[in-house]
Amino acid sequence: MTVEAGQAWQRLSPRMLLVHPVHELLRQIPVLIGSLVLGSATGNPMWALFGLALIVGYGLARWFTTSYRIGADEVQLRTGVLQRKVLSVPRNRIRSVSTDARLLHRLLGLTVLRVSTGQEAKGDTAFALDAVQAEQVPRLRAILLADSLAPAEEDANEPGRELARWQPSWLRYSPLSFTGLAMILAAVGLAYQAGVVAALQDSRLARSGLDAAERFGVFASLAVVVVTVLVVSVVLSVLRSLVTYGNLVLLRRDFAGNDGVLHLEHGLLRVREHTFDMRRLRGGTLRSPLLVRLFGGARLDAVMTGVDGAGEASLLLPPCPRATAEAVLSELIARPDAVTGPLRAHGAAATRRRWTRALALPAVLLIAMVVWYSWTPVWLWPIWVVLTVCCALLAVDRSRALGHRVDAEWLVARAGSLDRRRDCIAAAGIIGWTVRQTLLQRRAGVATLIAATAAGVKSYRVIDVPAELAWTIAGSASPWVADSDWARTQ
Amino acid sequence: MNLIEPANPPSRKAPLVWAIGAAIPWLLLAAGQLVWFALDQRLLWVHTLAAAATALGIVLFVVVVPLWRYRVHRWDIGPNAVYTRTGWLVQERRIAPISRVQTVDTERGPLDQLFGLANVTVTTASSAGAVRIVALDSHVADRVVAQLTDIAALGGEDAT
Repeated sequence: MTVEAGQAWQRLSPRMLLVHPVHELLRQIPVLIGSLVLGSATGNPMWALFGLALIVGYGLARWFTTSYRIGADEVQLRTGVLQRKVLSVPRNRIRSVSTDARLLHRLLGLTVLRVSTGQEAKGDTAFALDAVQAEQVPRLRAILLADSLAPAEEDANEPGRELARWQPSWLRYSPLSFTGLAMILAAVGLAYQAGVVAALQDSRLARSGLDAAERFGVFASLAVVVVTVLVVSVVLSVLRSLVTYGNLVLLRRDFAGNDGVLHLEHGLLRVREHTFDMRRLRGGTLRSPLLVRLFGGARLDAVMTGVDGAGEASLLLPPCPRATAEAVLSELIARPDAVTGPLRAHGAAATRRRWTRALALPAVLLIAMVVWYSWTPVWLWPIWVVLTVCCALLAVDRSRALGHRVDAEWLVARAGSLDRRRDCIAAAGIIGWTVRQTLLQRRAGVATLIAATAAGVKSYRVIDVPAELAWTIAGSASPWVADSDWARTQ
Repeated sequence: MNLIEPANPPSRKAPLVWAIGAAIPWLLLAAGQLVWFALDQRLLWVHTLAAAATALGIVLFVVVVPLWRYRVHRWDIGPNAVYTRTGWLVQERRIAPISRVQTVDTERGPLDQLFGLANVTVTTASSAGAVRIVALDSHVADRVVAQLTDIAALGGEDAT
């Protein structure tokens, strides 16, 4: 396919001349502070100006030294002010194209465009055009994905079929995450580093706070602090979820002659778009952490080659009603029974192992508390009882979760309680099997079966299956295992 | 369905090489303890305890583990798959289709070169699916590599 842009090296949007210096200033704040200190120490304000000029100059130089080229066979990106670097990506290796626009970029109508390949690219080796004009994005996306997808021009403008759209009711799952708490901790940490706490230590504010605490009593003030932190954390979690996922839309565009693409778009302030090549889809993972599961929710991750399996990159749906996540996954893999069908449980030995593990900690604690009986404070006993009950519930939940389902096309494995996951993996994508047995597993007659794929997190486990079943599962999913010289029917 | 064990054991020299490889760090540790004992003879019970731990470690890792591993390690190559069994406490049986093989590497450490051994690693597109056949006699390793690359060259499909 010929590209109108031809072989010429192209610059990124000139508007980046505004963005780069600002980003550099933000990134080089320590240098800026250093030059300010130097300036005031030597009494020469030129130092500060010199530092500022250096940083702004570097930011400007980045634009002049960055260029890209979309060739017939590969795309190239030339970067580096002092150390020149050329990054080349073969066009037929491009698996997905994603875009990302932070606030400053959006104000200027710019978008960062990222190209991801099968290789795991991190940091410097990731191919990112930072940034191009937003109106160029559909055209660039079509060109970059052309080799792998070949959509006609009119197809690219087709709206596509909507699989899911964000709803305000999805917000009810977000207070249950720890993001708010993490943000509070980060803020406190930042305040410590900036010396705010040290400054507060002797201030009138701190003293009046301490006085108030003394008047209320220690427990009351502690309760107030805990409630405040909880409320703020919930508010922050909900806000973050709203800002990140509000207006999320998941579309599927089918093109004549191939499987089409998945298109995910979300973000109120920072807009992110991902386009996934459906031919690279090897399944999906329904994840339902305990707290989200209690409220009937689940999140959905894609299992795709060329897309990092963990974290943001593979996310298709944030925590949402379980039915929605299941419906979308069923639609994607066209096999509702793999998504919601009953699973084969792993039997008594696996259940026993869950119980042994869960009760190990309480047992050790109990022995310690009995041995040092006279030193054990009385209040420790009710805490031990509560802990034991929690561990027992965990064991029940974990052994109920264990299960698998397999046929010639799909392998489904479910496990976990605090972070339960149901992995649905296409059998065709499995390129290796491992049966692993520890000493204890050999004695219990169970094994962990690991399916290796090039997609997602690369290895998917079926935990503690009966040992005699392990190769049967592998054989039913992969004919090359069943047909190998070593296979024997029992 | 079950898979029988792979047929071929590693080189007969494998336990010896593994034992020497494990002995080097342990003997260094023992030498360090001797120096410590020569310099400082207070706290005799600490010396005894450390010596006992080292002796136990040497017996376990220099004698027991290499023999155990030699009993477990097996490998085999079929017309369409490569199959290994490895480990000692944790044992793994791993199988990968040759049509999905991406690279076949041979690797020889200093000790391997001394005893004429080689390790063959067969990688696929999955980082969790690499099959490693360790401690083969050099001529066996060469034959394995030739055989694998021959079969792998026949399949032309995208290996993901």
